[in-house]
Amino acid sequence: MTLLEFARGPAIHASLIILVAGSMIRLVGVLALTRGADLSRPRDVFGNFKGYRTVFSRAWPSDEFTIVTRYQTAMAYVFHIATLLVVVAIVPHIEFITSLTGLSWPGLPNWIGVALGTIALVSLIALIMRRLSKPEVYNSTVGDYVTWIIVALPLITGLMAFAHVGLRYETMLALHILSSALLFAYFPFSKLMHAFWFLFSRAQSGVAYAHKGVRI
Amino acid sequence: MSAQLETTQVFPSFEQVYQGLAGQIGMLRQMAPEPTKSEERRLAGAINTLVEETNADEAVWLESCIHCGQCTTACHFFQATGEAKYAPMRKMDLYRRVYRREVSPLRWLFKLATRPVKLKDFEEAQELIYDSCSECGRCTMVCPMGIDTASLVHHMRSAMVAAELVPPELSALRMEQKNAGTVFGSSPETLKKMIDTIRTHYGVEIPLDLREAEVMVLSSAVDLVANGNGLLATARIMNHIGVDWTICSDGFESANFGLLSGDMSLWRMQADPIVAAAQRIGAKTLVIAECGHAYPALRWNPMLRSGALPFEMMYMSEFLGRQAKAGKLRLRPLEGKVTYHDPCKTGRRGGAFDEPRAVLKALGADFVELPANKEYNWCCGGGAGIFLLEDATRLRDESFKIKIREVNETGAEAVVVSCASCRLNFEAGRQKNHWDKRVDSLVELVADHLIDGPTPISGKKAADAEGAVA
Repeated sequence: MTLLEFARGPAIHASLIILVAGSMIRLVGVLALTRGADLSRPRDVFGNFKGYRTVFSRAWPSDEFTIVTRYQTAMAYVFHIATLLVVVAIVPHIEFITSLTGLSWPGLPNWIGVALGTIALVSLIALIMRRLSKPEVYNSTVGDYVTWIIVALPLITGLMAFAHVGLRYETMLALHILSSALLFAYFPFSKLMHAFWFLFSRAQSGVAYAHKGVRI
Repeated sequence: MSAQLETTQVFPSFEQVYQGLAGQIGMLRQMAPEPTKSEERRLAGAINTLVEETNADEAVWLESCIHCGQCTTACHFFQATGEAKYAPMRKMDLYRRVYRREVSPLRWLFKLATRPVKLKDFEEAQELIYDSCSECGRCTMVCPMGIDTASLVHHMRSAMVAAELVPPELSALRMEQKNAGTVFGSSPETLKKMIDTIRTHYGVEIPLDLREAEVMVLSSAVDLVANGNGLLATARIMNHIGVDWTICSDGFESANFGLLSGDMSLWRMQADPIVAAAQRIGAKTLVIAECGHAYPALRWNPMLRSGALPFEMMYMSEFLGRQAKAGKLRLRPLEGKVTYHDPCKTGRRGGAFDEPRAVLKALGADFVELPANKEYNWCCGGGAGIFLLEDATRLRDESFKIKIREVNETGAEAVVVSCASCRLNFEAGRQKNHWDKRVDSLVELVADHLIDGPTPISGKKAADAEGAVA
């Protein structure tokens, strides 16, 4: 078995199983905990439902915090959108998803894929630069840097493989797939799980404050 | 008659009140109890408390933090010092460590991969949990995940009670309230004496222990042992409105050092008699004195089934606001430009925004909002008991400068507050910085501007009050 075969076969499949099973265990394990009931009388009988809008409203910082958070917010948006598009909308990735699920859709032209990958990597670097330059604001842990590296590796190796730079193409491609497998396997054990938590966290805070008549 | 009596200054000015209380607070440190349990039991108690108090909400919040750093920009203690350790996200680190090892669905993994939590970790967290977090909730307003750090800090305070790591001042007051039922010595006798003083010197009647009353009013230790003007103002307003009201000597204290320290058994010991008294007298409304944390202690406490109670609880500013909106307050106009500081516990974490503003409107005030107001208001730095903590002096003083800057920007001559802790903290900041602003309490401001007609005193009920509560 070549490195590429290993990457395309057992490595990526095992990592996907860990991704799905691990995420499920962590999500269900937390969400199945009892919820402490708030027995106090709500300010407004149907007011609590208004809290769910925090899920959407918190997608952008309020005016009060725009200036201090705009760099981070803008970069984070650029990174998330570009990465998501690269993951699901370039032809080789679609082919891989098709091989697993049978689903397929039209892909983006290669040059757009490369541009998006580059944008994702640049914004990721912009985010780590800020993290490094303001240690007192970020209180970074080892986990923050490890996560950054694990997220950056598939982007770097993917771009290198596409551009045929570095090692032999097959080796670069294998490294790209292996780094993606690492990302998938690492996902359920890391802060990357915020991809799910943000929904619940925002909703429950929104409801808790709406209970008191406060819009957050 | 009353006009003549009113000119006699029986009660000290608030400047003197602050100075007097500061002396008493200084003595609390010596009265603090020493830990009584073994280190193992203290640690186990702290961990068990966190495990017991962790529900899905807490777990989701602990899971959600991505260390994005946004919360640091929102916290007054971080802004004032620029020190990394005061970042709100750091205040849940120890809780998260315990959560991961004891509650998380991946606890088997975290037990292998992380080192056990020690009592020393709790000792080191004391400054983060008490001195540098007023549980004001401002960080929640910016967090992209919406994490309610203040709630998590409150659970940590409960753990600190089990670990016997409550700061000495809060610990001394907690033990006083637990053992003697008083705060700074304010007993039912103190209340009766204060009521007598107010009747004798100001001619203002306070109906004590009526068998039945529509409105039950709470007082607070600050009013009873130091600032008599607070209770006097409350009485004047109640009598002015002509409401059927009373104070119950078996449930009058707003201050709850159970909630402040994190001792929820003491919280219940304090809250239950108030609820019982209100039910006994058939009150329809319970008015909480200007004592910020009493609002979450009673009105918003998730463990108090207030939806099922036959009376409504409201904060003094809410009560005044509703009276103002109903046109029941006849007021002389307030001179000069004023701004209003929303106490964290009644504002962002309580939702009483409109009512105090309605009062200022009824006063015809030239009212201007602070640059960051309502949900975004900066905490004064004294909330959640921090005003009492000597170790937090630098944090308080530095963070108060944000407040000075904010108030100065409005060009107001006075800042109106509706919380005794905020007011004391503002007064401390005013004196230390030789600040040229006035700090007014909402309830006293209203009382000072009442146009008094005939004052209905609930005299008819005074007779049957005697012996009603024995």
